[in-house]
Amino acid sequence: MKSYAKMATAATLAASTLLPMSVRGEDAKPQMGGELVVTGQLDKTMFPGRNTDAGGMDVYLNACENLVEMAADRTIKPVLAKSWTMSDDLKTVTFHLNEGIQFHDGTPFNAEAVAFVFNEALAKKFLYVSLLEGLEKVVADSEYQVSFKLSKPSAALIPNLAYRTMCIFSPAAYKATGEEGLGSKIVGTGPFVMSEFAKGEYVLFKRNDKYWQKGKPYLDSIRILFVPEVTTRVAMLESGDVDRAQGVPDFDIPRLSGEDTLKVATIPSLQQNYVVINNLKKPLDDARVRQALNYAIDKAGIVKSVFAGTGATLSQAPTLTPGVFGFTDMREPGKDTIFAYDLDKAKDLLKQAGYEDRNGDKVLENAQGEPLSLKLWTRKAGKGEYQIAQLVQTFLEKLGIKTELTVLESATFSASLSLGPQEAKYDLALLAWTIPTADPDEPMMYMTHTKAWKPAGANRMFFSNPETDRLAEAAHAEPDTKKRAEYVRQWMAELLKQAPVIYLPTVNLTEAYRTYVHGAKYLPAGTYDATQAWIDKAAKEEQGISR
Amino acid sequence: MLKLILARLVFMAAAGLLLLTFLFGLFHAIPGDPARLIAGDSAPEALVQSIRQAYGLDQPLMTQYTTYMGRVLHGDFGLSNFSRQPVLKIVMPRLLNTAKLAGWSMLLAMSLSLLLGSLSAMYWDRPLDRGITAFSLAGICTPIFVTGILGLYFFGVHLRWLPIGGMTSWKHYILPVLTLGLAQAAGFTRMVRACMIDALGRDFITTARAKGVPERVIVFKHGLRNALLPIITFFGLGLGHMLGGAAVAESIFNWPGLGRLMVDSILTRDLPLTQGCIFFFAMVFILVNLVVDLLYRWADPRIAHD
Repeated sequence: MKSYAKMATAATLAASTLLPMSVRGEDAKPQMGGELVVTGQLDKTMFPGRNTDAGGMDVYLNACENLVEMAADRTIKPVLAKSWTMSDDLKTVTFHLNEGIQFHDGTPFNAEAVAFVFNEALAKKFLYVSLLEGLEKVVADSEYQVSFKLSKPSAALIPNLAYRTMCIFSPAAYKATGEEGLGSKIVGTGPFVMSEFAKGEYVLFKRNDKYWQKGKPYLDSIRILFVPEVTTRVAMLESGDVDRAQGVPDFDIPRLSGEDTLKVATIPSLQQNYVVINNLKKPLDDARVRQALNYAIDKAGIVKSVFAGTGATLSQAPTLTPGVFGFTDMREPGKDTIFAYDLDKAKDLLKQAGYEDRNGDKVLENAQGEPLSLKLWTRKAGKGEYQIAQLVQTFLEKLGIKTELTVLESATFSASLSLGPQEAKYDLALLAWTIPTADPDEPMMYMTHTKAWKPAGANRMFFSNPETDRLAEAAHAEPDTKKRAEYVRQWMAELLKQAPVIYLPTVNLTEAYRTYVHGAKYLPAGTYDATQAWIDKAAKEEQGISR
Repeated sequence: MLKLILARLVFMAAAGLLLLTFLFGLFHAIPGDPARLIAGDSAPEALVQSIRQAYGLDQPLMTQYTTYMGRVLHGDFGLSNFSRQPVLKIVMPRLLNTAKLAGWSMLLAMSLSLLLGSLSAMYWDRPLDRGITAFSLAGICTPIFVTGILGLYFFGVHLRWLPIGGMTSWKHYILPVLTLGLAQAAGFTRMVRACMIDALGRDFITTARAKGVPERVIVFKHGLRNALLPIITFFGLGLGHMLGGAAVAESIFNWPGLGRLMVDSILTRDLPLTQGCIFFFAMVFILVNLVVDLLYRWADPRIAHD
């Protein structure tokens, strides 16, 4: 899923702090020095405008900083900007910038640099540009004051600016070397300076001695090795070749957890699996049928068999995951997930919609005797997607729906799921979505809104509901956080009634690291932020690691 | 000789251009939109369209083809869709890395198989032959990813003797070269054994024995030289095979080679990069065949004479 969804994912994390996440070693006093060696993944360019994958952010966040970041309590904290104000009509957001900061190439960080980056993003359509919807232009008012001009108020703008991919790179470096240049050597204001890059092998960041936040960073350098093969990653961690490995398989967790020298952390991500329901196809246009499909899936069973019981978390609300603004637990009292498994209820709902087993063949038929059969598409990608699809097929057959499962190769799948309402051929398709900025604006306006039907947006269900559209638009423009949260809650409640998709568990992220690594953050969007990390050298030596 | 080399080089160029044409057609025939993959599953159509324009993917097929081929003739294989780096700049170091891995593995496989195969033929149907046969059958039957991962855990994690991933020191070569080389040696040994048994049964060998030539000289000088023709062909094909099989070993040992790059580029529909990878693989394959032909002439001067 190189998707936008994923991008979104990442975003959040940036902010990141807000969700449950793995942070360690804040109590002890940080030690200076040492090189942290971690595994990573960089399939694309290193240029933030063209790579919004979590793996890409892991790389460039070491060198490139944002105007703001999101704290654990979901408040927005200043980074390169020291404060901001909003005009009375809510259409101009003005940032006051920190002074005396330099990019790694020695050019000054100022309002002009910020304006250049965002105006270029709009003009060249950087991948994150849809998150800046409503932004008309960015103007440098003075050396250290910059204004974002909007065509209409957007409550999502500031949280979105915390998305790591919207970091401020050096305009001078960009003008000199273009996207290609920054794609292999990112130049920002961050705590580390990129010093070596061997594509497909590693990237090395060295301490920025002129970093504007005095006393930081603690490490001398961070080396990210690109190791796509998961078995190799785990072996490298166990042998001490690396200090941290991401994406540890669920079934390896018990073994690794037993090692004294390793720590394993599992955190819920912002990525929720779901089955796209083509709302235009009969009888899927009936909300009762869609609800029945939801009740027929044993989500706890999926977590147990596909994710070893620990690799995923049951969903507590439709579309939004904990940590996203406005998230409310929408489970019925006493239930462990929304649409908790209830086969009888599912059958009952289908009966109301006119489907029941009329001839004793265990397949449901309508009044004309036509059996209910659906096409489910999936791909062999992501974390256990194919296995989930197989289980969904089994559960639907149990309900009495003939389900034909088709596995497509990733690129073909992606192309087939990007077609408009006339061309789309699927009934059901297994996918995952992520919320880029931990802000509900993206899911509300871009994933479920009528205007966002494929191919324009990401609504591949072709779901359309005036009430959810109205609530989404109201939340989009509402600056008052309490009122906005209430719109979001109502929107989720309406989604529960409409069931535009089959809601499945949220994938957990798993990492394992050496116990001597402290202060790094693993964010729910899947991004690893080691800029404030430090190494306990004595403990490292004790473990016999002399790298 | 020179004529042969020249003819082959011309053939190489023609084959390369034909191959690129074929790949171009193939990639446009299979579903999957590169612009969509770059933008991401959920990206708005407007964004996908702008990427199509920026990368020239919205041009008519014929225009895309002629532009591409025109550039290739000038040595420019274009930019990778994802990393936006020149294809040549990405492919060349990777090709060199794969060549290093395949070269050392091949050297190990050839020397080991010549030795074991000859010994096996010398001691035909005796315990040593059976032992060597058992080794080669085990090697042929065990996939590289099994031996590779076992080796990695035993020598890398358990004993901590050898590093696991990358290629920064000579120690990094040991596990991948052993894994790939031994697997290849297993197959080669069977072939060498069969050819040697055949050669050692010929009349001139009996004559040599009757004349009292030492057995060592009979086997390694007269026998091996005469068994060499089919073995050279087999080694040549084996190297081509190894270049392909290296992709698996490259994944396990995190070797930054061309095989891994090619698989990744196909999965992401990075057309310029895939074309570059396959093109250079094919060129290496043709070059290896040229070398095999030249070696033939060395092994059997009658061929050159004909």
